[in-house]
Amino acid sequence: MLTIDESVIFSIQLAIEELFTNMVKYNHTADSDIAIAIEIGENKIQINLTDYNSTEFDITKTQEVDISQSLAERKVGGLGLHLVKKMVDELSYHYSNGVSEVIFTKYLENQNV
Amino acid sequence: MFKAKILENGDISFHGRLDASQVDKANAALGQVDKSCTINFHDLEYISSAGLGVLISNEKRLKENGHTFRLIGLNKHIRDVFRYTGFDHIFEIE
Repeated sequence: MLTIDESVIFSIQLAIEELFTNMVKYNHTADSDIAIAIEIGENKIQINLTDYNSTEFDITKTQEVDISQSLAERKVGGLGLHLVKKMVDELSYHYSNGVSEVIFTKYLENQNV
Repeated sequence: MFKAKILENGDISFHGRLDASQVDKANAALGQVDKSCTINFHDLEYISSAGLGVLISNEKRLKENGHTFRLIGLNKHIRDVFRYTGFDHIFEIE
């Protein structure tokens, strides 16, 4: 039986939430569903999120967040994609004919399998 | 689901999962706070950027009057979220 470390599960839940809410937030015209596919392999888990009616927005090319900013300098928001980049092992974005697909991978190395 | 309890001494305890669908509940509780207090994270399993947003907006409001939140009982994963975002330098965490 495959045992998945708690920290891996936490990272995957957070990445799905951030990427999903991002797709919803920045796509005001879409009235179609967003599909989520989860593939569990021997050494990794791969998640695909697909929005079939979207405009192009490459989440891998967003500006870096300056985490050394003080409270006064901080703006509320903008941390979701930053967290995703910190917590997943691979992240890619593909866009074609109105379809946006985000794929991320979390490795299961060093797990108690 | 998420729940925020306001204790008799004015401190707050968070329970459950603070995700994007639960931020209104967290904001309703923290919005009542007008002086320094402790938020106990012991029973909080999960937080996402939406939850961080509620914390920082209320911390900004409190700081205007010289008050602040003190956070206790964060689990390892939530500590990682604070570290990755630099929130561990913004909030007083025990």
